[in-house]
Amino acid sequence: MSSDSSFPRFNDGPSSPDDSISAPIDNTFSSPADSSRAGRGRGRRRRSTTPSAYATPPASHTRFSAAASSAENTPATTPSRLSRRSSSGRVPSPSSTDDVQPSSEAGDDMDDSTPTFVWGTNISVQDMKRAIDMFLKNCVENEERKYLKVIDRVLEMEGEWIDVDAHDVFEYSPDLYYKMVRYPLEVLAIFDIVLMDIISGINPLFEKHVQVRIYNLKESVAMRNLNPSDIEKMVSLKGMVIRCSSIIPEIREAIFRCLVCGYFSEAIGVDRGRISEPTTCLKQECLAKNSMTLVHNRCRFADKQIVRLQETPDDIPEGGTPHTVSLLMHDKLVDAGKPGDRVEVTGIYRAMSVRVGPTQRTVKALFKTYIDCLHIKKTDKSRMLDEDAMEVDNGPTRIEEDIQYDDSKVQKLKELSKRPDIYETLTRSMAPNIWELDDVKKGLLCQLFGGNALKLPSGASFRGDINILLVGDPGTSKSQLLQYIHKLSARGIYTSGRGSSAVGLTAYVARDPETGETTLESGALVLSDRGICCIDEFDKMSDNARSMLHEVMEQQTVSVAKAGIIASLNARTSVLACANPSGSRYNPRLSVIDNIHLPPTLLSRFDLIYLILDKADEQTDRRLAKHIVALHFQNPESAEQGVIDIATLTEYMSYARKHIHPQLSDEAAEELTRGYVELRRRGNFPGSSKKVITATPRQIESLIRLSEALARIRFSEWVEKPDVIEAFRLLEVAMQQSATDHSTGTIDMDLINTGVSASERMRRENLVSSARNIIMEKMQLGGPSMRLLELLEELKKLNTGSELHLHDLKTALTTLAGEGFVLVHGDSVKRI
Amino acid sequence: MVGPQYDCLVNPLGAVRSTFDKAMASGSDPSAFNGSDWGALDVFRQFLIDQSSLSQVPVLNPTTIGRIQPDTLVRFRGMIQDMLGNEFYVGAYKNDAVWRTNKYTDLPQFPMGEEPDMRIWERRLLYCVPVPGQNSWTESLSEVLPNGCMDWTSQQREKRPRMDDDASDHMDMVSDDECINSSCVKKMRGEGHASPSSSSQSKDSKMEGTSSSMIKIPDVDGDSLPCLVKIYDCPESELKLNEIFEFIGVFTMNSEVTVAKEDNSEVSDSFFEDELISFPANKVPRLHCLIHRKLEVHDFLHSSPMFELKPHLVREIRESLLGHLTVILGNDGIAAQFMLLHLLSKVHTRVDNVAVGKLSLNLTCLSKESVSVFGNRLNHAVKNLLPFTHCIPLSVEYLNTASLAPKKEYQTNRLIPGVLQLTEGSHLIIDETKLEAGTLNSNGVENTTLLKNLMEFQKVEYDFQYYKMEMTTDVQLLIFSEGKSNIVPADLVIPFQPSSADSIDAVPTEALEAWRWYLATVRSLPHSIETEIQKVIENDLVAARQADRSLGSQDFSRWLTMGRLMSASFGETTLSLEHWQMVKEMERLRRERLK
Repeated sequence: MSSDSSFPRFNDGPSSPDDSISAPIDNTFSSPADSSRAGRGRGRRRRSTTPSAYATPPASHTRFSAAASSAENTPATTPSRLSRRSSSGRVPSPSSTDDVQPSSEAGDDMDDSTPTFVWGTNISVQDMKRAIDMFLKNCVENEERKYLKVIDRVLEMEGEWIDVDAHDVFEYSPDLYYKMVRYPLEVLAIFDIVLMDIISGINPLFEKHVQVRIYNLKESVAMRNLNPSDIEKMVSLKGMVIRCSSIIPEIREAIFRCLVCGYFSEAIGVDRGRISEPTTCLKQECLAKNSMTLVHNRCRFADKQIVRLQETPDDIPEGGTPHTVSLLMHDKLVDAGKPGDRVEVTGIYRAMSVRVGPTQRTVKALFKTYIDCLHIKKTDKSRMLDEDAMEVDNGPTRIEEDIQYDDSKVQKLKELSKRPDIYETLTRSMAPNIWELDDVKKGLLCQLFGGNALKLPSGASFRGDINILLVGDPGTSKSQLLQYIHKLSARGIYTSGRGSSAVGLTAYVARDPETGETTLESGALVLSDRGICCIDEFDKMSDNARSMLHEVMEQQTVSVAKAGIIASLNARTSVLACANPSGSRYNPRLSVIDNIHLPPTLLSRFDLIYLILDKADEQTDRRLAKHIVALHFQNPESAEQGVIDIATLTEYMSYARKHIHPQLSDEAAEELTRGYVELRRRGNFPGSSKKVITATPRQIESLIRLSEALARIRFSEWVEKPDVIEAFRLLEVAMQQSATDHSTGTIDMDLINTGVSASERMRRENLVSSARNIIMEKMQLGGPSMRLLELLEELKKLNTGSELHLHDLKTALTTLAGEGFVLVHGDSVKRI
Repeated sequence: MVGPQYDCLVNPLGAVRSTFDKAMASGSDPSAFNGSDWGALDVFRQFLIDQSSLSQVPVLNPTTIGRIQPDTLVRFRGMIQDMLGNEFYVGAYKNDAVWRTNKYTDLPQFPMGEEPDMRIWERRLLYCVPVPGQNSWTESLSEVLPNGCMDWTSQQREKRPRMDDDASDHMDMVSDDECINSSCVKKMRGEGHASPSSSSQSKDSKMEGTSSSMIKIPDVDGDSLPCLVKIYDCPESELKLNEIFEFIGVFTMNSEVTVAKEDNSEVSDSFFEDELISFPANKVPRLHCLIHRKLEVHDFLHSSPMFELKPHLVREIRESLLGHLTVILGNDGIAAQFMLLHLLSKVHTRVDNVAVGKLSLNLTCLSKESVSVFGNRLNHAVKNLLPFTHCIPLSVEYLNTASLAPKKEYQTNRLIPGVLQLTEGSHLIIDETKLEAGTLNSNGVENTTLLKNLMEFQKVEYDFQYYKMEMTTDVQLLIFSEGKSNIVPADLVIPFQPSSADSIDAVPTEALEAWRWYLATVRSLPHSIETEIQKVIENDLVAARQADRSLGSQDFSRWLTMGRLMSASFGETTLSLEHWQMVKEMERLRRERLK
């Protein structure tokens, strides 16, 4: 205790033994307190920390001391409320009730004559009591008296505390809130008194002591910003539990027995962190000296635990290591957090001095700090927030949604969504270091936002998750994209196909080595429920493992029927897989299906299948070269403008996923039907049934999902026609369908238009039509052939404006040849 | 100039306190300071910089620690290995109605308990260790100047306006020599210390109550002396993990403080005394830092002012260094060219995950036999050229057992250093030739991923048990392997083709110094590119990609890095066409070899 008293604290006033908090530590570290310090502390405090001295009239001061001494000397004989308190095992409150209690009683006695103040402050105890009383009785939520209801419930359940939302306090009276944060020990003590008064008013026979636990402070402090000015204030901070000590039984009351006459002493409470053993037997007839011995099983103990909290990784600045802080937990809070839990803690920041040695009185000029924990809240903070909380903990702590989107943030996100180019901006912000592949990124963006899951009353459900398969040549940064997506969605698993077995992906039954019971262990897909499961090297996966995906990808469940266990687990996950074409490189002579070489049953479950082909294109190469040169020689910040940072991106995404549920507009629905019919017709190209991916009803579901995701990106509650059109475009582009020759199912490599800008496409179309015109003019059907160079000359005459290469002409002629208009044979063209 | 009332060197606390008293006398309120400086630092800055007395401040190292008096001014050079958070201390307190301060000390000057008026201030704790892999030449000049004692005395006499670093080296050297020559130096040191300390100070120091003569010499293992540095009034962003600093401050080593924990059997439960448990005060000295400064490679050289950045001079040094490397590499000129670029590489920007500027080198075709010759030679050469070097002989057993990544140990609340906790600009040789077939356990797999990530992204994941934290590093990696290394895929793979294995002549120290200076200086040159040459490069890249589809962005990135390093190696700050052509030619030769 002496360690505490050497430090300016607000509560160790005259009457303050303050045993409940400092005792546990002092037991361990420091030795006997000398009672003379209390007086000093009092004096000092008056001098140093009383901002307004007028607040403490001398008269009340003397009364305080008197009350204090009575409380100190005979704890067991203090008025009824106090004794009930001490007997009811009130430990965890950091505020030492006793120190304010006498003063409040003094206040009760005198009532309105002279105000009583909390030591060193101008807080009047009576005013405080009144304010808290009003708050507890009048705080309204949903047209109910919130806390009276809570109290009723606590009485029913025989609970030991009520949780008080600090936001409620603030809304009711900011003044009360600030006083509470500034002088938590005193205010909480009054809070407890008022609460007990109310309770005894409702049920005078209620024996248990009920405490107030404050949570949800308006501001939370970063751990590394705690500084000396926070000492003795209420703080709230987030962190991760890294260590819990074993539970330490801490003595609260001791009973001694005289070895000579067998007389039991009265219960002796803890005073300044220690219990003074009576030196003589208290029985008048005995009075034997040094005969008292502690009776262990009649003493009262309380649980205590010291927990170490560490900063969460996102709070650590670059080039720093995480800070830690110790928490002191009492009674019910013990074991509330386990190592690895992310928690938000509300408590009082305290400091105590360190002694040079346990037996020495000299203190070092150092302070150890800790937080006296009032309330602990577990947070499950994943990057991407989902609709439902995964774990529901029925423990003593409350679990709430972690991110409360405050108005300003929502406003910011909404403003962002109003930008006309939000779709492009988000695309650009995705994996900005991966060059090109804009359409792939757009597809992935849709996957991240997701469509609406639908559950019909009949029980049929439609998934909202979008599955994507990337098939492409080696070295087209597929894996990097996968890694990036994995990083962006925290609930997600990244696996590699070759290293995954069927059960590793879904679920497996294991026998518990201890009990012999069979237990179900989740695999990657189940673990990434409501997230994205990234599977690299999809083609190298065993067929057996791949077949397990069928169920997951459409029904979104994993069914296990194995010895003793038949279960169906949720696996509402989006699958993002990437594979190399069969034969490692895309073979242009084979059809798309033959190149991908995956069973059609599985293929149809992917909403988007991207063919990422590495094609020699000077323009792309030039852009790549420019990009890399810029990377090396220019300021990299200036190179990427208008990119949204990853934090905002995830925020934007989780907000959209949570709050935006777009619906199809009539116009969009019409467009969907029209487009789908066309898609079907194209698939029915004569003789192509096996060579191209035909449209199935699944496709229309995909299109709905994609257009919903696109509407979500805009924060729009309605899916509009442009969304549907874009969804169709994504589907087409993904499969390079525009470049597919439907008669053979092969892709015309020259026609691949990834990375080809719209204007370039336009130019090519123009070229095709003008070439057609020239051929119509100059050549007769079945007439003599024409040399390419001649044709080029003709064309150049026609469009003088733009530059024209032989290469371009060849491309145009290939298109015409595809139409069956001309025949290209080596260097000569023939009209047919 | 008004001389300070106290000798800053011998009684720095006296100086601190006198300024504090002065500030108090002028009517300041201690609570107004809130821990910030009241003018004490100015005194020390003036003393150290204006009077250039830095060289007089003894350096704290294993050899000197036994002799340095507590509560005197010392210097310590080290890398920040761990950060231990903040510490609250009684900054100011009243004793007999007079304000006293505890800043820059552990124990109060006057007993504090009797007067409860106090202010609590804050300071940061940093755990510093000697820079890992620091080579001996950075510490000692003994090879260069065998007569250390003489030099030291001459140092005393002359005023050296700019060569702070140099001085420190001399001091170090003195301490090395002392082992042989201790009596002489001790005497000198004794004199050196006795003369400035006037009688008043000695009285003062006695009052501080530390039994100065009874300080235990810490049993530090080998020559690594860690130090717990306490930093005052410094923004957090200024000091970062793994950076090298020189701290100048008050040295304390109070063995009394440790008594506290001896019968604290419950300590493990309480975790309130972490620092004391892991750093017993008699093993780890404390340094209350007054002034700190970040050190660059230059600060570890002896001869920086000898040279100027003149083109012809740089060219000369470059040629001689290239010649030296060629000889070491058994007359393999191409490998030597690449080696030179490799030694100059440095991460200069990071864009997302891409660390621009790194150039790791993989020398292949090294068998077990040849590595014993050339590997050792190279290792030795690199050691002589760069200040901080490491060598990892990779074997299955090593991968399975070694802890490469630093790991947070929550039992002691310490960051346990791993092999890969390296300061910026370290050089790491990975010798893969000893690797044989075997099974990796989970630790081994983790270690290989770490190495791979270090190679690709220049990042190391620190293991905080509940999560991992990526720390950026800048390490030059050189790999020896028989075939192309798949565990650590380097930027540059070059088959090593030595034509001779002649022994190398000893290198004159002047040349070594010139090379060191060259490497350090040229590496930090700024760089830019003209738009014209930019166009040329772009065209070249496009043409190359049209010709060979297998070329990817990584190859281009490497070429540009090489171009940059090539022009830097000539001491130029813009890329010229000539150097770009050289790079292309080198790349062509390399590809030919790979075939």
